Amino acid sequence: MDLKTLCEAFGPSGAEHEVRALIKEAAIKLCDDVSIDRSGNVVARKKGTDARKPSVTFAAHMDEIGFIVTGHTEDGMLRFRPIGGVDPRVVVSKWVALGKDRTKGVIGAMAIHLQTPADRERVLDYDNLFIDIGAKDSKEAEKLCPLGTYAVFDTPYTEFGDGFVAARALDDRVGCLNLLEVLKSDYAGDLCCVFVTQEEVGLRGSQGAAFHIQPDIAIILEGTAGNDLGETPSRFQVVRPGEGVAISFMDHASIADRELFVKMQDVAREQGIPHQIKRAITGGNDAGSFQQTGKGARTCVLSVPCRYIHSGNNVAKLSDIQAQGELARAFLNSL
Amino acid sequence: MHTEDFLREITAIRGLSGDEGLVADFVKAQFEPLCDEVRVDSMFNVIARKKGPGPRVMFAAHMDEIGLMVVNIEEDGSLRMGQVGGVDPRILPGQRVTVFGKKKLMGVIGAKAPHLLSDEERKKNYLREDLYVDLGMDAEKVKSLVSIGDQIQLEHRYTALQNGRVSVKTADDRACVAILYDALKRLQHIHHEADLYFVATAQEEVGSRGALTSAYSVEPDYAVALDVCHADTPGAPSTRTHKQDSLVASMGPYIHPVLRQKLVDTAKDNNITLQTAVVPRYTSTDADDIGISRAGVPTALLELPLKYMHTTVEQLDLNTLKEGGRLLAQFAAAVSSSWEDELWT
Amino acid sequence: MLRDTLQILLAAYGPSGHESAVADAVRELLEGHVDSMKTDALGNLIVEKFGTDENAKTIMISAHMDHIGLVVTDIEKEGFLRVNAVGGISPLFVRGRKVVFKDGLPGVCALEPNTKNKSTPDLSDLFVDIGAESREEAEKLVSIGDMAVYAPDFTALGKHKVASPAMDDRCACALLCELLMYAEGQKHNIVGVFSTQEEVGLRGAKVAAYTVEPDIGLALDVTAWGDTPETKLPAVKLGQGPAVKIMDRSMIASPAVREKLFEAADLAGVAVQREVLAFGGTDGGAIQLSRGGVPTGTLSIPCRYVHSANEVIDMRDMEGALKVLLQFVDLA
Repeated sequence: MDLKTLCEAFGPSGAEHEVRALIKEAAIKLCDDVSIDRSGNVVARKKGTDARKPSVTFAAHMDEIGFIVTGHTEDGMLRFRPIGGVDPRVVVSKWVALGKDRTKGVIGAMAIHLQTPADRERVLDYDNLFIDIGAKDSKEAEKLCPLGTYAVFDTPYTEFGDGFVAARALDDRVGCLNLLEVLKSDYAGDLCCVFVTQEEVGLRGSQGAAFHIQPDIAIILEGTAGNDLGETPSRFQVVRPGEGVAISFMDHASIADRELFVKMQDVAREQGIPHQIKRAITGGNDAGSFQQTGKGARTCVLSVPCRYIHSGNNVAKLSDIQAQGELARAFLNSL
Repeated sequence: MHTEDFLREITAIRGLSGDEGLVADFVKAQFEPLCDEVRVDSMFNVIARKKGPGPRVMFAAHMDEIGLMVVNIEEDGSLRMGQVGGVDPRILPGQRVTVFGKKKLMGVIGAKAPHLLSDEERKKNYLREDLYVDLGMDAEKVKSLVSIGDQIQLEHRYTALQNGRVSVKTADDRACVAILYDALKRLQHIHHEADLYFVATAQEEVGSRGALTSAYSVEPDYAVALDVCHADTPGAPSTRTHKQDSLVASMGPYIHPVLRQKLVDTAKDNNITLQTAVVPRYTSTDADDIGISRAGVPTALLELPLKYMHTTVEQLDLNTLKEGGRLLAQFAAAVSSSWEDELWT
Repeated sequence: MLRDTLQILLAAYGPSGHESAVADAVRELLEGHVDSMKTDALGNLIVEKFGTDENAKTIMISAHMDHIGLVVTDIEKEGFLRVNAVGGISPLFVRGRKVVFKDGLPGVCALEPNTKNKSTPDLSDLFVDIGAESREEAEKLVSIGDMAVYAPDFTALGKHKVASPAMDDRCACALLCELLMYAEGQKHNIVGVFSTQEEVGLRGAKVAAYTVEPDIGLALDVTAWGDTPETKLPAVKLGQGPAVKIMDRSMIASPAVREKLFEAADLAGVAVQREVLAFGGTDGGAIQLSRGGVPTGTLSIPCRYVHSANEVIDMRDMEGALKVLLQFVDLA
């Protein structure tokens, strides 16, 4: 499985079918016990031989931010709302793909010539943004893209610059990619890799997964927002792409288990894996579910720094993606 | 070449106002087999002539595009952008670009992250000054490859939508250059008396500068400028927009009434639908400057409705475009030296 | 020397439309160095120096003689003068400044006290005090329509920098004079145009370009700066060499001329900067659009605090520019 295929698969929260099928197919080649649970998560288990070793679960989410059709106007435009947190300021003048057939659409806006000074300042919200598929009237629009049709930014996966990649859904297909790497490990204890649904709409898939897996340790592989350019003061940069996998001390959903947090850094240092500490309390992820469900688990989050994570073009450095996978595996070997 | 392919190819070529050389090369190559002579002048205007014994007529559509330029390189290697023509900053965040430095470089336009913004700032659109281009490389390397003044091109995608509608950047006004091309093809089989000049003009977006100088050198008796106008768009005042499925012939003091009527008559004779727009003063198109070239040139304006002007997803109706080619060819064939007597009646 | 020429030209009175004193100074400097000199209807001084090449092209190089100023619009009964702007002059720059009229009559500028709380006072809040005690007394000295400019005040700053009013664009006039003096046996015909009325809309250059019908156009002017606190754009610094203009509001430099300027700089061994200006304009804009179009560029001298009474330039940039120009007229 490569990152390009994963990123270009369609999977806004609640419509992860394509990603699920891809991952299931790849996981089956790596372990015998692959199943889909009640929340639509892909659960891949490797039974351990040594009961003294802690049971470890690695998790990454399959879903991505996107859009959903909420109505049709008389002149054939689609009304829509975001799935997950998509800043309305990044959608104007962009391309989208809708539904299974990937029907092409564009999001335009009133031309600059027609804007009043107030228009220029005012952010167009989702009541005033439309997807245009070229339909002539509401009937045609409805036929092609019925209510509830999901959409994503139509962004190809492209490597650029010095080892960087721009793509849709790097958050969190990078985690999915590395989870498949972890699945190749020979760990003596019980190992589970779970690819969860609906992270972007409230950490929903992971709650079900956490409930039925209840591991001793849960490690979350994520993408996190980095803002190192544009003269951003250092204290606001959070993480810097290119400086390695980011280890979190806490975010809005969980506080890292202190021992794991320290151990991650020790392992990274010993193995020469580039790493950094995430320097802010921002965002929240599936670690919250695992830590606080059932008997509870010790958790730690490893993130790939991603620029413009709220837009159709996430940017990350390939070496950081690799470092995330390396640290996850090295950590497992150290237990 | 099919007119649609012409449109697809010409919209992909970079050509900020003042640097239209590559577009000019393309237009010249495509026009040459259809004309008697083609030249590119010092402003990059492409002036193509299809000879005839009658009055000299100039058809003008501009080929320059609005866009961005590197104005500064920050210490961290991010690029600050200046604009050539009016770029709507709302279209920029999250957009992919190509920077034409010592080599072609892909970049992504980044913005100050939402968590760094105050509540007040979050309610406002980003300004171009707050945005930057991320080239995915370190500052030192950026500085070795990129210079102040280098062009930044927004992402080009030719997106075919339903019902023959197409979204593509720089349809303003290359779609009208495609109309010139379409008309030229048709004129291979239609007799015309007029001495025809098809001009792809430069620097319209910064003030119709190419039209000013090319009209001076062509010295036409009549002219028709072709440009885009606004098609109906959500939120836009309906008084300033038009239906996408037919062309628009403007009227007002800057437009010669008799010449416009000739255009309208030609349309009627050939079953081509025309909408009317009333422009009380300047039209903000090449027509304004051509009309006052030398001793003055009776000039009409033909417009193609376009949605989302000055974005990367400008949308037009291909059928309307082809009707434009048909109308222009028929108009060219109709031009007669007898019109001179009617001009001021 | 460049510095002496500059000082001579800076001393001359010359608001837009009233440039004859500057033209006289230029004529005196160039006497015996050029092939012809003539003045046109708008007061442009057009100077020719023929080239040696049999296929010599005609290069029009313009530098404007006029500078911004104030024009008297009314005289108060207490003898104070009310003024309006000639070109882009800001009351913030003018307040507290000494100005002079054509015959040397001095005055000082002040703002009404009630403007203290205005973030940007209007020029109508300003008045000029010439010491007159009544309208009658004032009227003996000045008339409505008389123009005043910043009083000449040449100051050396540090080793290389100099400050003065009217640096925009007398520094370019000085360059053009020196070019015409020192160019010898150059390939192309140089038509130096000491232009008028640039500050009110590139008016002199427009008619001069029509008359000259050049093959190539070049404007010499100052440009803004980006090297003082909280100023970043344009990315141009004093002392780093003259700047080759990419674009401003009046012109997108013709790529061919722009590249020739870079080539000339290379040959001259002079470092140059690249300038993108979001505002402003030069004679280049008028020359480029003359008749059927003229390939045109602009070479700029970086200048701080443009349109203030202390326009600061770096003499190293001037010397570099002269070297570039001497190459350019042989190359273009």
